[in-house]
Amino acid sequence: MNVFEKLQTIDRRILYLLIAVVIAVPLLQRPSRHPRIVFSEVQNAYQTLRKVPKDKIVIVSCVWGPGTRAENEPQTRAIVRHLLREGTRFVILSWDQLGSQLTYEDASEISKELGKRYGTDWVHLGYNPGPMYAIIRGLGKSFQGVFKVDRFGKKLKYIPATRDVRDYRDIGAVVEITPSGTVSSWIAYFNQPFNIPLVFCPTAVMSAEAYPYLDSGQLDGMLNGVIGAAQYETLIGMENERTYAAAASWALSCAHIFILLLIVLGNLGYALSKRSPQRRGGKSIV
Amino acid sequence: MSEWLVTNTKTIALWCGAIATFAIYSVLYAENRFYRLFEHIFIGLSAGFGVYVTWSQVLEPKWWQPMVHKGQWQWVFAAVLGSMFYFMYSKRHAWISRVIFGLFMGLSAGLMFRDFYEIYFPQMGASMKPIFGNSVGYWQSVNAIVFYVILISSMAYFFFSFEHENPIVQKTAAAGRWFLMIGFGAIFGATVMGRMTLFIGRLNFLVNDWWPSVQTAWRSRVFQAIVLSVAIALVIQAFRVLLAGRKMTPPSG
Repeated sequence: MNVFEKLQTIDRRILYLLIAVVIAVPLLQRPSRHPRIVFSEVQNAYQTLRKVPKDKIVIVSCVWGPGTRAENEPQTRAIVRHLLREGTRFVILSWDQLGSQLTYEDASEISKELGKRYGTDWVHLGYNPGPMYAIIRGLGKSFQGVFKVDRFGKKLKYIPATRDVRDYRDIGAVVEITPSGTVSSWIAYFNQPFNIPLVFCPTAVMSAEAYPYLDSGQLDGMLNGVIGAAQYETLIGMENERTYAAAASWALSCAHIFILLLIVLGNLGYALSKRSPQRRGGKSIV
Repeated sequence: MSEWLVTNTKTIALWCGAIATFAIYSVLYAENRFYRLFEHIFIGLSAGFGVYVTWSQVLEPKWWQPMVHKGQWQWVFAAVLGSMFYFMYSKRHAWISRVIFGLFMGLSAGLMFRDFYEIYFPQMGASMKPIFGNSVGYWQSVNAIVFYVILISSMAYFFFSFEHENPIVQKTAAAGRWFLMIGFGAIFGATVMGRMTLFIGRLNFLVNDWWPSVQTAWRSRVFQAIVLSVAIALVIQAFRVLLAGRKMTPPSG
């Protein structure tokens, strides 16, 4: 077996180990430098949430759970931080049982850090099992008819942040943070009929399918995976802070370069081994 | 003991998370019992936590409380309708479950009309982009032309109502196939990025959350003894495997 053939038969466990090393270095270094190039869809998402009138609330709909925490949690944290800094009230809806706890912990931590208060600046509505379309359609017509209590069982009409929220007229925007194709429910039953802006935060897997929605104006902005979260952090003035999103962006870039290198090496090995005399049936002159 | 648990909850959670992460990733080396054990633990924990959250945040406040304590007795019908699903397990009474399944299928079919109208009609409208005009810039024209070329050729590929005998249709459909392949390549690239991010998330936990707690724990003699014992056990196991000549199956895929 010559070197070119060996290049194609590297044990995958060695490759896994190398990938782990390549990713671990930026994570250990934890660079603070954020992406300086911000995609237009991220910029639009930022502008959309900035323009929400202060007398309206934003719905942050979280469909994610532990399985996609690495991608959706940085997005959630960036959005929550922005809304709290802007002083825009928001409610978090969770459609995942485990995600419900995670989103509450994230928002609580950031809220405490910024000196904001639960109930006055934000509310968590707990876990909702669905069906999503029915809840979405219902909350547009009667918000407190669908959501009567928060995650602690306290009535929304007694909570300062939500007591004046009646229907879609009091909702300024929706942020959908999801690893699955749930955004179409918001488009069909809420944002299109009531003409309310929608910001989409999908995992990278889902993002490619979202561009037609952006093109048609059905989505007002998008945060594409953890890269989108890092870009959003740049916009909200965290470009010099050592965050997970920034470190993950670097790690992702390193991993991509490494994968490209492996693809080139594998193909090079394949092309050259086809040319080698042994393969053609001839004798090697070496 | 309970006081120790309360003060060390975070450390215990970190260690449990790290051990579970190592166990799950051990399948990358080879299929093993350690991986299977933690896989079952995860499924069991998720299911258990799911039942608790469903009861405490959904059924108890939204169904049980109104029905039992507030006199809204009509909620009992929700239980009747919900329990109809479970008749699918009975051969004799399976028809009861079909009633409720049929109801939901009809509902879904009806909702699809609305989905189609609200989701795809605006996209069809947005596809009609102007190529020339006073308000259309140079690059917008180029973008629109590229968009139309890709749209028409991709649609040509899906014309199955007649044979692609005409050379123009043939070439356009072939170009459409290439564009589709490029699109699928982009989606696959995004998928790789997504999966890699999930791995980065776990590695970040190990490197930045768990590792500092290892450094703290390393000061303790007891911890050093435990690590040494585990290392010796692993070496012995590795030798046993080598001597037995057991072949470990690497994961497929």
